[in-house]
Amino acid sequence: MTIPADLKYTKDHEWVRIEGDIATFGISDHAQEALGDIVFVELPEIGRTIDAGEAYAVVESVKAVSDVYAPVAGEVIEVNEELEGEPEKVNSDAYGAGWIAKVKMSGETLELMSDDEYTTFLEE
Amino acid sequence: MSELAKTPIFDEHVTLGGKMVPFAGFEMPVQYKNGALKEYTFVREGGAGLFDITHMGQVRVAGADALAFLQYVTTNDVSKLAEGQVHYSALLNDAGTFIDDITTYKISDREYYLCINAANRHKDVAHLLQQAAAFDVQVSDESDDTTLLALQGAAAQAALQPLLESDLESIGYYKFAQVSIAGRNSIISRTGYTGEDGFEIYIPNAIAVEVWQKLLANGAEPIGLAARDMLRTEMGYALYGHEISDAVTPVEAKLMWITKLDKGDFIGKAAVEARRAEGAHQRLIAIKLTERGIPREHYKVFANGVETGEITSGMFSPMAGGVALAYVKPEHAESAPLTVEIRGKAVPAERTTLPFVRSNVRR
Repeated sequence: MTIPADLKYTKDHEWVRIEGDIATFGISDHAQEALGDIVFVELPEIGRTIDAGEAYAVVESVKAVSDVYAPVAGEVIEVNEELEGEPEKVNSDAYGAGWIAKVKMSGETLELMSDDEYTTFLEE
Repeated sequence: MSELAKTPIFDEHVTLGGKMVPFAGFEMPVQYKNGALKEYTFVREGGAGLFDITHMGQVRVAGADALAFLQYVTTNDVSKLAEGQVHYSALLNDAGTFIDDITTYKISDREYYLCINAANRHKDVAHLLQQAAAFDVQVSDESDDTTLLALQGAAAQAALQPLLESDLESIGYYKFAQVSIAGRNSIISRTGYTGEDGFEIYIPNAIAVEVWQKLLANGAEPIGLAARDMLRTEMGYALYGHEISDAVTPVEAKLMWITKLDKGDFIGKAAVEARRAEGAHQRLIAIKLTERGIPREHYKVFANGVETGEITSGMFSPMAGGVALAYVKPEHAESAPLTVEIRGKAVPAERTTLPFVRSNVRR
């Protein structure tokens, strides 16, 4: 299981990459492994304003439907449309090609963990 | 909660990376390390998928009245079974609704073998024992002594044949043979729950691990519950607690083909006849979403924008897309535009025919 050092993580197993005022969201390797084969991703609409901790997307595995929560607040400016045809990218490349959405940050954030903190969190 | 039971194969599942979950009172593998989709694909695309379905129950019925007894407690016409033949059937209650769906194996005029659902085992056995009092028949629950494996897929026969002296080619679809495996009496039927050619293998627990390992050595791969449910849903096969339950009769569940009203009296017959005369309360239909989405159990179905029923089993089929079985009001079974409500949105659906994907069973 990989936990990149350049990302922040939430207790709900989302990751966020913050570059300036742009945040990219996805789910962690741990999350995709726990969910199993992902067969559907429901993406948010461009322009939607989301709060930190709000469910902004849905991932569906063979057996389960799971909400995905926003690590930080903002306005959705880009979504990974490739996931509509290839949702399995969330499994195969959770931190890369499996990214879900990008937002222009508006300030509010959840409590975010570093890679080391997330590693400890997973072990607890 | 009572402690979950383990099948004789449990340690093998764990060794193979099986993700164990509670299922019908047992700890069973929902998937192995490659995941449900790869397991599904392996079975559909020519492999030999090996399933531990030991959670299911087995009941032996023997005695001078065995035929008369089974004619009375099951829906199908047992007099039509030849020795070595299996059929799909059901146990109904007096209200004509399902106690369980089962398969019946005819060993001889005096001896039959039933395979029943895990979750219904104790209810079924209690019912059978109660009804048996009026017949010269012995009902024996052999579930605890029996391991049941399913080997499904185009390569199933090639993987199983080396374990046997007898030729599997002689066992036709819905036929079975009593055979010796590792020196022990076993039953092999050409039956299954996947829509692929394959077998169900009833063996004593003592040789369960040996047979499991030999089949894997012959190229079989283990398949978990998630892929099993995908495979059966694509065929439109009913699952107790979903399409059938004690809330529906065979009239609703499209199972009149196993309910033989012309065979004489049986439990539930009068109620089924009355329901047929009155008309089904709801009807089971097969639907396919025409836009992206996955229909799932309990999602509501609408006809002309008005709620008409709900999904009993739904899935993402890699071959057919978002497909589901649903109960709807009888007046909406044939026509009227349908939608499925998914997270508050109405997703259009069309009626389709079963199976959702092509069946490859050997007819």
